[in-house]
Amino acid sequence: MTQRYSRWIGLLFGLGLCHALPLPAHAAEQSSKSSSCYAEGLSDQLKCGSVEVAENPKKPNGRKIHIHYVVIPAIKNLAPEEAILGIAGGPGQSAIESAASFERMLSKARQHRDILLIDQRGTGQSNKLACAGEDLTDIIKLNDDAYDSAKETRECKAKLDADVTQYGSEQALGDFEVVRKHLGYQKLHLYGVSYGTRMAQLYMRDYPQVLKTVTLDGVVPMSQSVLAIGGAIARAQELVLEDCEKDPSCQQTYPKLRTEFENVQQSLSEYPVMEKVHHPVSGKTALLTLTRNKFLGSLRLALYSPAVRSLLPFAIHQAYRKNYQPILGLLAMQDGSMDLAMGMHAAVVCGEDWPRLTPALREEAAQSVMGQMMLKAMDESCPIWGIPAVSKAFGAPISSDIPTLLLSGEKDPATPPKWAEMAMQKMTNARHLVSPYATHNVVAQSCGGDLIAKLVETDDVKAIDGECLKKDVRRSFYLNASTVEPLPEEK
Amino acid sequence: MINVSNISKKIGKVQALDDLSFSAEDGMITGLLGPNGAGKTTCLRTIFGLLKPDSGNAEIDGIDVAKHPVAAKAKLGLFPDPFGLYERLTPREYIQYFAKLSGMNSSDAKQATAAVLSKLRMDDIADRRCKGFSQGQRMKTALAQAIVHQPTNIILDEPTRGLDVMSTRVLRDLLLDLKHQGHCVLFSSHVMQEVAALCDRVIVMANGKVAAIGSPQELCQRTGQDSLEEAFIQLIGTDEGIAA
Amino acid sequence: MISKTLTLLRKELIDASRDKRSVLAGLYYAIGTPLIMCGLFMVLINQLSSPDDLPIKITNADTAPDLVRYLGQKGINNDTGEQAEKIQLIISDDYAKQMAQGKSAEVIIVADNSEEQLQKSIRRLQLALQNYSMEMGSLRLLARGIDPRVLRPLQVELHDQATQDSKGGMIMGIAIFTMLYSVFISGMNLAIDTSAGERERNSLGLLLSHPVTTGQLVLSKLLAVTAFAMLGLVLILAISHFAYPMVPWPELGFSITITPSFMATVLVIGLPVAMLAASLQLFVSFMAKTFKEAQSYLTMVMFIPLALAMSASYNIAPDVLKWLPVSGQQGALMEVIKGKALPLQELLISSGATLAITLLLALALTRMLRSEKVVFGL
Repeated sequence: MTQRYSRWIGLLFGLGLCHALPLPAHAAEQSSKSSSCYAEGLSDQLKCGSVEVAENPKKPNGRKIHIHYVVIPAIKNLAPEEAILGIAGGPGQSAIESAASFERMLSKARQHRDILLIDQRGTGQSNKLACAGEDLTDIIKLNDDAYDSAKETRECKAKLDADVTQYGSEQALGDFEVVRKHLGYQKLHLYGVSYGTRMAQLYMRDYPQVLKTVTLDGVVPMSQSVLAIGGAIARAQELVLEDCEKDPSCQQTYPKLRTEFENVQQSLSEYPVMEKVHHPVSGKTALLTLTRNKFLGSLRLALYSPAVRSLLPFAIHQAYRKNYQPILGLLAMQDGSMDLAMGMHAAVVCGEDWPRLTPALREEAAQSVMGQMMLKAMDESCPIWGIPAVSKAFGAPISSDIPTLLLSGEKDPATPPKWAEMAMQKMTNARHLVSPYATHNVVAQSCGGDLIAKLVETDDVKAIDGECLKKDVRRSFYLNASTVEPLPEEK
Repeated sequence: MINVSNISKKIGKVQALDDLSFSAEDGMITGLLGPNGAGKTTCLRTIFGLLKPDSGNAEIDGIDVAKHPVAAKAKLGLFPDPFGLYERLTPREYIQYFAKLSGMNSSDAKQATAAVLSKLRMDDIADRRCKGFSQGQRMKTALAQAIVHQPTNIILDEPTRGLDVMSTRVLRDLLLDLKHQGHCVLFSSHVMQEVAALCDRVIVMANGKVAAIGSPQELCQRTGQDSLEEAFIQLIGTDEGIAA
Repeated sequence: MISKTLTLLRKELIDASRDKRSVLAGLYYAIGTPLIMCGLFMVLINQLSSPDDLPIKITNADTAPDLVRYLGQKGINNDTGEQAEKIQLIISDDYAKQMAQGKSAEVIIVADNSEEQLQKSIRRLQLALQNYSMEMGSLRLLARGIDPRVLRPLQVELHDQATQDSKGGMIMGIAIFTMLYSVFISGMNLAIDTSAGERERNSLGLLLSHPVTTGQLVLSKLLAVTAFAMLGLVLILAISHFAYPMVPWPELGFSITITPSFMATVLVIGLPVAMLAASLQLFVSFMAKTFKEAQSYLTMVMFIPLALAMSASYNIAPDVLKWLPVSGQQGALMEVIKGKALPLQELLISSGATLAITLLLALALTRMLRSEKVVFGL
């Protein structure tokens, strides 16, 4: 089930797909020891390298791993002692592979400061703990209900040449500090997105003296288990339905969307669809198995991107009319779009989130279909991974007076705005801004990059004018397979 | 003592000097008299080694100019025509500069400069830049430059040209003074009067050759004329290019 | 011997420093050039950059609200007024109809593409429209069950070898060229004054009548002119150091900083060039009879280093230029400022050639000053 998990549920905290159609960048190219390299989608020459650290910090003489980093050089470096550290989500995404996304988001701030990206241990080039992936044909064909996730997990674990227990957030934080010192940066500005906000908060907790500012985008509060996002997903789904109802064109085109959505789920849970389709990439005949879970999983992924989200009413309506092509298209997006390092993902989630699930949280999670799926998957795989649980203190809110900007998207299917409020309880110099139209990863979908640049320049959260977030950048819903614009009324 | 022996020099197609020989003794003022184009300047330049004779040689105190130019030149002082002043320098800088070039060390040059400045009564203009100087002031500066290093031999090229009466007198007094100190003074001129008044010996030049050598009196006697001017015209066979 | 050379040199420097013409010629160039260049670039950059918020006039905006909002997110706003009129976007009347049928809908950009101020903004609008088109195209495919990746048979990646420093390559080339060329400009008047001028003032004969060798004379004049040339270089570097950072280079995607270590490198590498400039200028000027004549000769001769340095800075030149005087140094300095390693071999050879030519010219000068023809212009 590991794979399945990675496709539909594990994709919890990614840098969104948002602006990245055609699909986002992956696989940065790098020659390990040389000092210059390139990242996919970015023509600039980057500085890259690695530092050697002990896999187990408590055994400094034990096995060593290399932590790789890249520096996207400032256009005009006015603060060579400082860098902006971009921390990727997932958990399990490679920051280096997302270099082009980070560069786009932080391009204003990059004018005067380097951007530092580190492949967190277990991801990307830093001893990636990956499990064998499935190809798209399998993703389309397989019925996840009849899937032995324990076996998959065991197989993956057996293949990994690593002490998986050492790939949690706190061990990785130590690596970040080693890299910072290695590169000689006195101070850092943090930009963490999604799960990266947890890393940023740990940084605030353990090394506040080296931080000048912090930006948390799509905030996971320390007190929150990432597995508790079933509610967030349900909320985001509901917002799609609501938005369509409020929109005259959408309402007129799909007047019974809510009922249709219920019906499709109902029908799929009773009778999963099996039919011949054309493979979305090769065009060959392929077999599609569509269960309710797969259906909801594909919708969930679409919720991350404002553009793809706008296709959802159409996709639901078509599914109701037994046309599964749009869902097939959404399923195809899961292939290769997010190459999560599942071993590392498990090391984080099974150590830091799964053990902290209280009965109350479990009950809450079980209320949504996606929550149930996630619980089941974790309950099956985490015991196999055997990651020791973090201490209770891990969940304590961060007390800090570092200038901190928290950004949330109203339509976020992973980290709803109220999570940011929880995170900033004990932050005395923090501001929370909500973009009414953004989903997950606000900075990629709004003027957030400008706000970060301002924060980095001034070190003052009060100086930030969040008015630009309110600009109406909403995307219209698709009314058929081709258009978002309603036909003018016939005269 | 300056000794010129059998110097010939062609400039272009003109035979500027033609087997020229003469000498100028220490403690004497020797005048090189000749009409324009007689070869006076060419002769002086050859003595300085600026021009190389086609044949013959010039010696300064027994040193062959062509063979040891630096040593020979160290024994010469030149009052050139035109003066060749550096207008952006003051007379003091100018004179000191050439004193050093003539081989004096810094402090000696400084002292000698001060001495010559006061001797020529130039203290009032010593530290003004030469630009805008009168002809007399220029002449004094050039003269001071020529004698600052106390050379045994002093050569003056048309020294009185363009000078007013006062300046001419200063120059004349100085030349006499130098002669009494035992220097060898050689000057070229085409002005009869000053030659007659100053020179112990006159070398009359025409067409690159020595036409006659002797004291003004001897020249007059030899030609049977009363004045040097008449004698001169007779000696060179024409009055062209002679100023009274 | 040395003391006489020093005496000569000292006099040349005092004399030259009091010569307003010589000093000002160097000063004007050294101070003026970086300032003029920076001024021009400031104006140019302002012209070329697109404002953060770009107002355009959109006709039929209500036909395509999604597109208008998309553009808005990219900072391209539907507006009215004189500024907005300059770029118009006309959305065709049948936009929605064409879209609904899955066809291409026409949008027309109306703007004057020859107006440089607009070019970047026009490109920005075009790019935004292309991206919107691509995004819709991808979603149309998705809606039909096809992976949009099939539309991307080629994944084209550009690995730009430029470093942050080298992006300003051409501008840096020109900047370095102006610096290197300053050694030719700054000493030029002095070179003429101390040679043709010296003869014109009749002081050359007097000088040569003194017990100095022509070697001493040439050496001192060479050093004096070189000193002036280097002074000009120091000055232009100092001015550049302060002037260049004031230009908003980042707008063009790179930065230009004249660091003290780069300045030191320029001075070291520039010294042989300055000596070459001095000997060349003295040589040419001594051949002229008057100041004016020397000026006109030099103006012509100075085209040679100008051409060498220029062609090296524009990168249009054949490889052989790397090994030649002036262009070799220019090329080496450009490598340095691009953050690359100093091409030692090329630099050594071109500097060696520079010094060799300098030496030859100096020897020729020494011979020339022994010639009656040259000294008296006979």
